[in-house]
Amino acid sequence: MTDYLISVKDLSFTYPESEDAHREHPVLNHISLDIERGSFVCILGHNGSGKSTLAKLLNMILTPTSGQILIDGKDITDPQMTEEDIFEVRRSIGLVFQNPDNQLVATVVEEDVAFGPENLGIPPAEIRERVDNALRAVGMTEYAGHSPHQLSGGQKQRVAIAGLIAMLPKCIIFDESTAMLDPQGRKEVMNTIGMLNREKGITVLHITHNMDEAVAADRVIVINEGEIYLDGTPRQVFSEIDKLNAAGLDVPQVTALFAELRQCGFGLPADILSEEEGAELLASALT
Amino acid sequence: MNKLELKNVSYTYSAGTPFCKKALDSVSLSFEKGQIIGLIGHTGCGKSTLVQLLNGLLTPDEGAVLLDGQDINRKGGDLRSVRFRVGLVFQYPEYQLFEETVYADIAYGPKNMGLSKEETDRRVRETVQFVGLSEDCLSMSPFDLSGGQKRRAAVAGIMAMEPEVLVLDEPAAGLDPIGREEILGGIFSYQRKKKSTVIIVSHSMEDMARYSDRLVVMNRGRVLMQGSCREVFSRPERLTEIGLDIPQITRFMLALRKRGIDVRTDIFTVEEAKDEIIRVSGGRHRA
Amino acid sequence: MLKDITLGQFFPGKSILHRLDPRMKIVLSILYIVVIFLCKNLAAFAFITLFTAAMVVLSGISLRTILKGIKPLIFILAFTAIYNLFFYGGDRLLVKLGFIEIYYEGAMYAVAMVVRIVCLLVGSSVLLTYTTSPIMLTDGLERLLSPLSKLKLPVHEFSMMMTIALRFIPTLIEETDKIMNAQKARGSDFSSGSLVRRAKALIPILIPLFISSFRRAGDLAVAMECRCYRGGNGRTKMTQLHLSFRDFAMLFVILLCGAAVLLINRFVPGFSL
Repeated sequence: MTDYLISVKDLSFTYPESEDAHREHPVLNHISLDIERGSFVCILGHNGSGKSTLAKLLNMILTPTSGQILIDGKDITDPQMTEEDIFEVRRSIGLVFQNPDNQLVATVVEEDVAFGPENLGIPPAEIRERVDNALRAVGMTEYAGHSPHQLSGGQKQRVAIAGLIAMLPKCIIFDESTAMLDPQGRKEVMNTIGMLNREKGITVLHITHNMDEAVAADRVIVINEGEIYLDGTPRQVFSEIDKLNAAGLDVPQVTALFAELRQCGFGLPADILSEEEGAELLASALT
Repeated sequence: MNKLELKNVSYTYSAGTPFCKKALDSVSLSFEKGQIIGLIGHTGCGKSTLVQLLNGLLTPDEGAVLLDGQDINRKGGDLRSVRFRVGLVFQYPEYQLFEETVYADIAYGPKNMGLSKEETDRRVRETVQFVGLSEDCLSMSPFDLSGGQKRRAAVAGIMAMEPEVLVLDEPAAGLDPIGREEILGGIFSYQRKKKSTVIIVSHSMEDMARYSDRLVVMNRGRVLMQGSCREVFSRPERLTEIGLDIPQITRFMLALRKRGIDVRTDIFTVEEAKDEIIRVSGGRHRA
Repeated sequence: MLKDITLGQFFPGKSILHRLDPRMKIVLSILYIVVIFLCKNLAAFAFITLFTAAMVVLSGISLRTILKGIKPLIFILAFTAIYNLFFYGGDRLLVKLGFIEIYYEGAMYAVAMVVRIVCLLVGSSVLLTYTTSPIMLTDGLERLLSPLSKLKLPVHEFSMMMTIALRFIPTLIEETDKIMNAQKARGSDFSSGSLVRRAKALIPILIPLFISSFRRAGDLAVAMECRCYRGGNGRTKMTQLHLSFRDFAMLFVILLCGAAVLLINRFVPGFSL
């Protein structure tokens, strides 16, 4: 039997009655989804597709209109949940937000990383150890004494990630955490995410609209109009170019090129993602 | 004819203190009338400083900024009128919206210019069409718009001033593929209609290759390369050397060449790549 | 430029003053201020000046920085000196120039007052603000005041507010700069016209600033909740404060200084306040 960390069953969410009409239709519409422990899942969708709402539901910032969410087998939609249970969910499912400026609390990097463990009431000596480990894991040790406003966007996001690692989470959700970064910062954060998943075995849900970032994932889920639109490995999902375009998403340029070449009669596969493998294939086809 | 020119411009932040940082080092550039110019470089290369020098928000330490051959910082010159002639859209411009309605916000610039009510009205209605906002939006509060719409309203606020030169700093930052298309497409159609000079600062080679007539690549406060897109892309290795992301399709063509296929590498769109591959295959694939 | 303002002036270092426990530093500062006000005669003022100078040396902060800190107060100092010099009556007339009369007592008063203000400022700066990071300061304050939380006073909440304010001041300054430039690019004019016009010109800056601050506050609240924040209850702290030998040594020195001042007041002759 597969080991699921998160199981979502028939989940719907509608914003409570608000004045603006565009919010009345459901943001998420009967979604069912299982996330395997230790996997790296990328959730794609254009703005307003409901992908960020999903993150807030999993972290209990929002409460679903209907449906069920199981985390580690525990039903978090159960009204019997105590405050302790809620904090346990938030500890084990960390959330990194979009704007790197608005999630750091303290005026010194290491104090900020300590913020989560301090809230959990961990003994001081252990907090120290966790903070040092977390900063080392994201490669920010030398900035421990800096103040957040001296850091670049990518560095701030790495500090935010360290703040979650120090709480020893099972899963970290990145809610468009790369959207406001420059290419350098994006690279830093993507490398950190990959490391967390491979070396620390943390389950990663990466929410983005950037295709290139999805290529590295084990699994890609496309959400469109509040529903699951495509779900599979990056190869499977990206070979559905027409469907992706219809959902307002791009595909990697090489994938698009191979699709065009196929239409011109080239006998090439549709599921090419990286330029290196594409070049290898095409070179042998041409010589 | 050159519209806007920089002559040996240098700029240093916090000059004379231990924190001094040379942002621009003797930069000479000329922006031709009626072109779209893409200004590319990674964070800290001096491009954000450059755009603020163009409309007199910063004054060069050395050198001069010439608009129609006249130094904008000359004694007795009127910087405010320079700012109407060189319109500047900052990064994340949606944060500058403040009026009660979208209409009033777009009209703020033209009103400051002292234009008549009729002229202001004509410009507001024209610019919303360029950026693809519906007339219904005009009476709404700017804060009720979606993220992408806010961005477009803010850009319209500068366009409505009908500056002879329009400068945009990362107009598409943080937007999803649809949002990018809408904003960049809007700028493109505005430029084609008004024949004004447009300078777009960006990290994205892919976007700039698609929209601009001319590229300027900056690195460490200096101009590294400039020319038509074709000229700049003819040496993609130099771009990667300074840590810029070249389009995946260009990387793909480089990878093909490395494998002994004699293809051109100054290619940056999928369409071109397809034609090139069909050319080198000599029609063999149809067999 | 707004960016040039450095708020909560803290100069990192490793001097003995930097390494003192922040709680002790707050207590020491209070004691030090009391000692300054105990000074009654010139000898005592000379003594406290020397003592303050010794603290500056201990802190390792350059004289230039200290003088820069006094600079904004130059007018207040000048005013105090002149006021006391010219308007304080007494018995021993020193100079008489037309209607201006300067008395010995007035001159002494002027010196004493200026010394008092300068010592107050310099001493508390090197003891507290220059050598203590803002976070240590709020931390020390929170712990010193923690007995008050038994009286239901929101001590933890207060210190959290301080921390967040300190964290966001640089961010907001940067943001104000950015919005100002953006509106200037749209032809806003902040520097000419009547007062009413200038006040009106601030609206395009203040509204976006408020809106973004509210958004930040909202985002931050959610982020804090996600990191299991639930007020001060059951919360631990990574940095533990320990009073060490040097803290008590400094306390002893200050107390000694106070005793010395009292003795000087009593036994050294000369002008007395």
